[in-house]
Amino acid sequence: MTDHLPFATLNSLADGELSPEQLAGVQQHLAQCSACTTSALHQSLLKSAIAKAGQRYAAPQHLVDRLELYRHVAQRHDVIPKAGLLSGLFARSQSKAVSQNKAIYGWAAAAAILVVLLSSVFIQRRLNETASLLAQQASLVAEVTDQHIATLASSQPLAVLSSDKHTVKPWFQGKLPFSFNLPEDLPADTRLQGANLTYLRNQPVAQLLYSVGKHRVSVFVEQTPDGRDSSKFSANSSGFHLMTATTDGLQLEAISDVDPARLSQLLDIIQRAQTATASASR
Amino acid sequence: MRLLSWKRASQQAIPQAFAFEDLALPLASSLYNIAHWLTRNPAEAEDLVQETYLKALRGFSAFEPGTNFKAWIFRILRNTYLTSRSGLAAMRTVALDDELSGNGESSPQLYPEAAIDRQTPESNLLFLCDRTALENAMQLLPAPLLEVILLCDVEEMKYKEIASVLDIPIGTVMSRIARARAAMRRTLQNYPIYTPEFRA
Repeated sequence: MTDHLPFATLNSLADGELSPEQLAGVQQHLAQCSACTTSALHQSLLKSAIAKAGQRYAAPQHLVDRLELYRHVAQRHDVIPKAGLLSGLFARSQSKAVSQNKAIYGWAAAAAILVVLLSSVFIQRRLNETASLLAQQASLVAEVTDQHIATLASSQPLAVLSSDKHTVKPWFQGKLPFSFNLPEDLPADTRLQGANLTYLRNQPVAQLLYSVGKHRVSVFVEQTPDGRDSSKFSANSSGFHLMTATTDGLQLEAISDVDPARLSQLLDIIQRAQTATASASR
Repeated sequence: MRLLSWKRASQQAIPQAFAFEDLALPLASSLYNIAHWLTRNPAEAEDLVQETYLKALRGFSAFEPGTNFKAWIFRILRNTYLTSRSGLAAMRTVALDDELSGNGESSPQLYPEAAIDRQTPESNLLFLCDRTALENAMQLLPAPLLEVILLCDVEEMKYKEIASVLDIPIGTVMSRIARARAAMRRTLQNYPIYTPEFRA
């Protein structure tokens, strides 16, 4: 026997692709040709060996889980999701996950930087506002203290020297761009002595001078700066105690070396007098 | 009407009521295995399988129940691979210049008859037991030969199914299978452990 089976036939034999007629002819040849039988056997062994070696990689469980997730999404929404949508919904692979993570980290870093910048700007503005407010308060404390000391030290009498509120209040008519009220009843041992027209923050204000026992108390009545209520605060300056109060467009500053409680009491009475006036006028 | 090749009636008819997941999920491991062989990268293989599933899921309404789902989804996998980065690179660097005409009839004289060792020595049978040698030999195959041998030997597809998956004539399938096995044999015979000195 000189003619061997062609290589294609041996492959087809190993792959089970021969027709019954071809298979019968091949089997007849193999029964007589040991070389072709060996070759056919080798082809079959090679095929089975490749089949075993080829099953090398098993799908990782997370991939299978993800594929099932696709199915659940598609079933749940009864739609076939677009690839882009799903790729956005689920991490796709390590390489893309890394790039997605990088993008997420990038956005997170940008967001963090933005937050830090906004926070720093906000904090800086708050610090500036606080510093400005403190500077304004310090300036007011210095002015009020100077005015009070100057009044105490002055040999000049007060511009209006009277304990009668109906004398003192009308005196300011035409001198101040606002009006205020004086309380009827004062605490014991407290007495109105008179008033001056003076200036704070370059604005005309009423300086009411009270005596509390032997102590003198200056109460400055001014319009609230910028037409808004300013912050209420208290401070000590040169041995004097200063308190502020706001009411109905007016700001009151009381300064004295008297007991702070009594100073606060007087300031509250004057403050209530403004409120009562406003309520009565309504 | 001429049906597409993968739409031929399958030997085991698939009930029409079968859902996509019933057909696709059991093939996940096979798809991943082929994808890993082709891409040679686990992450890319996952991408490839997922992309295949998404495409199959979206196009499942066009799939005719009762036809060959395995060939259909493997064709999607293969086409997706061809458009991937590694697929483009693999196909660009491999030139198959001696494809056979694809009329389904093989021409025996065109096959590399010299590639087969008819006097197969026993040592040639021994290397078939060496899985590492086999895997290395498979890795050396160019992508067009590797994919055809995987579909034929690992997935046990018929030539017609392979032809439909790869969109090539059956003659080309047979040619590539022959060349792939011949290349495997050559590589295994030259594998270091079976050098003549060692054998001696």
